[in-house]
Amino acid sequence: MDSGSAVLDVQNLSKRFDMTQALEDVSVDLKAGEIHALVGENGAGKSTLIKILTGIQQADQGEVLLQGKPVKISNAQEAQSYGIAAIFQEPMVFPDLDVAENIFISHRDRGFFVRWKKIYQDAETILEDLGIQLDVRSPASGLTLAAQQAVEIAKAISLNVKVLIMDEPTASLSSHEVSQLFSVARRLRDEGVAVLFISHRLEEVFEIADRITVFRDGHKISTNPVSEVTRESLIQEMVGREVSKFYKSHEKTVQGRRIGSIKNLTKQPIFSEINFDLHEGEILGFAGLVGSRRTDVGLAIFGVTPADSGSIEIEGKTELIHSPQEAQKLGIAYMTEDRRKLGLAMPMSITENITLASLKKYLGLLGIVESSREEQTAGEFKERLDIKTPSLTHEVGKLSGGNQQKVMFSKWLNTQPKIFILDEPTRGIDVGAKAEVHQMIRELAKQGIAILCISSDLPEVLVLSDRILVMREGRQMGILEGASANQESVMALAMGQ
Amino acid sequence: MGWEGFLLVVLLLIICVNSFNSLAFLTVENQVNLFVLSVEKIIIALIMTFIILNAEIDLSVASMMGLAACALGWMVESGTSTSTAIGLCLIIGLVGGAFNAYWITIVKLPSLVVTLAMLIGFRGLGRVLIEDRSIRVFPPWFENLGQQPILGPLPLSILIFLVLLVIAVVILQYTGFGRYVYVIGISQEVATYSGVRVARVKTILFMVSGLISALAGILFSARLGSVRGDMGLGFELDIITMVLLGGVSIFGGAGSIYGVILSILIVLYLRNGMSLSNVTGHIQTGVIGVILILSAMIPNIKSWLESIFDKKYAP
Repeated sequence: MDSGSAVLDVQNLSKRFDMTQALEDVSVDLKAGEIHALVGENGAGKSTLIKILTGIQQADQGEVLLQGKPVKISNAQEAQSYGIAAIFQEPMVFPDLDVAENIFISHRDRGFFVRWKKIYQDAETILEDLGIQLDVRSPASGLTLAAQQAVEIAKAISLNVKVLIMDEPTASLSSHEVSQLFSVARRLRDEGVAVLFISHRLEEVFEIADRITVFRDGHKISTNPVSEVTRESLIQEMVGREVSKFYKSHEKTVQGRRIGSIKNLTKQPIFSEINFDLHEGEILGFAGLVGSRRTDVGLAIFGVTPADSGSIEIEGKTELIHSPQEAQKLGIAYMTEDRRKLGLAMPMSITENITLASLKKYLGLLGIVESSREEQTAGEFKERLDIKTPSLTHEVGKLSGGNQQKVMFSKWLNTQPKIFILDEPTRGIDVGAKAEVHQMIRELAKQGIAILCISSDLPEVLVLSDRILVMREGRQMGILEGASANQESVMALAMGQ
Repeated sequence: MGWEGFLLVVLLLIICVNSFNSLAFLTVENQVNLFVLSVEKIIIALIMTFIILNAEIDLSVASMMGLAACALGWMVESGTSTSTAIGLCLIIGLVGGAFNAYWITIVKLPSLVVTLAMLIGFRGLGRVLIEDRSIRVFPPWFENLGQQPILGPLPLSILIFLVLLVIAVVILQYTGFGRYVYVIGISQEVATYSGVRVARVKTILFMVSGLISALAGILFSARLGSVRGDMGLGFELDIITMVLLGGVSIFGGAGSIYGVILSILIVLYLRNGMSLSNVTGHIQTGVIGVILILSAMIPNIKSWLESIFDKKYAP
């Protein structure tokens, strides 16, 4: 139809969250009748853009033009009324309603009585036009994920969609379902809908997209027709070149003896067949994209959500760990990525947090806490990790992110771990503190602790790790040598190339 | 100064007003008597403090009191020796608490729902045992337990309260277990991720709650000299009032046992003062009700005051 004109024009959009600039001066245009792919690493700003377009969040600066007119999208209903719809990896259907009811759930012009006959007829027509075979009277709860997505697409069409955003729609679909979804997307494109397609799977991007936009660190890097980009140029743009000057000079730590071995660790349907060895003084990086299930592997090793099969062998003892207490006994520590919710008791003092995971060491007669010894330990860690605070009785919640991170490190170092799992050890802390944390991790390794470092910050993984295990969608894609790995080789594995 | 300081001021005010109003207020006799009249509630308030700090609630305490009392009467009536019956009643308390703990920690139902069900369940069980009768079968030594002074002017029940109070203060403020109670109340996830045995702590608390409630039921039977199916009906509300007024957050993790001690004194002295001024029981209950609402609003009032303060003094 009227292909070529911009339906949606995003101009100079910026959005900031506390410390991080999620989007900076980003401009993208979506044309009617095109499939526009949006790619980028974790944290590149893709989700933020989607949230702004669907009215979940508001931009700090910049404009969104819809068919040339500036619009203000302040909530999801408004987005819908402008003809902007989004479908996600996990569709949001009402399980107790049937297919047709789900399709017409957001219609407001239905009058006082529901005209059931018309609803079912219209639903059938829409699905037929899309080439989808579904019984409009079957309840949504019994549908497959792919069928639920189809219902969501049908819903968008019933609302006269002009812009359809598909956020990682294929992540949990089989290849047959993916090709069905693609044919629906192409049909919509041919009818003049602008489709914004977000995926971590580059092969899919190349299969379906007309144009590709790359985001990196909140900036738009490029928009090009698919014919003008190659796989290599895309990956290079996603990871950036200038990072290499940031740090490098990777000093290989001396590889000590093997202290642990994970064999065929599996937890269905989350991850399967994870295999690696851990050596004294080694830093093993865990790389992968969001949803690659690295944290789940860490939690299984620490026993919070135990694996269902496979073995964890540590210092010759083989067992499947069922609880954090068992893990601690074996010398495993796990420092969470979510300080606020899972890591620290915010209203408690620095001292109480530092001794929380090893409180048994401080219990004297009748289980009474020997507070002088406790304070001594806290004082030692304050010196050693340079925790900046006026007093150790200070509430942890009132410290800066970097200092909170140091308190978490202290808490787990005080359990004297042999294996230390770090989950996003530098998330949400500023650049200076980040360098300090990196230094700290290297020193811990030098002291002989085996470190398993989960990080979505690729330069961080590269600069720290002796070896890098790359995961993708719950599977282990390979282990790279830290010295020879680079951003491209890790990303290629993480994206399944 | 905080909430405890505020409670202390209120308490001193009530003491002043009461002693001006009635010369009888400060006599040893009146003081002992006002404690004896509520000793069962204040004993349970101690363990309730732990449970609410843990971000849980036990609504079944008063019904467990009733069940233990009924079981005691029923057993003694059917020929069991009183001391054996007391032992068995304490075991009933432990088992009842363990039953609560099972549904809360293993099935993971909210304690509000589980203990509400047991509020009905334990009460019903007690009524099944002795129906609508009032049983008065206890030997004299048992009836004396409730009121006879054994140390100075203090009867056994007050002594038990004082001992439990000391134990509660020590455990909560000074032991590792007390620390765990607070951490779990602040965040169950943080506790789990730190290797704290959350389920074990909760199980212990609910079992002790059952045990203490059964003990309170036995003391109540001794004081009254008889048992009935409706003993302790509605006590749970007075007990929870005391704990919340003491500044313990209904969301767990915040508050102290000292605040609860002050609020116990406030509630008892307020009731006693009103009695001495011939205020009827119904109005007394009304006043306590208003206090409960106020105490539930404490966190809101606190943060409201803080926000005003912040606005005024922000740089």
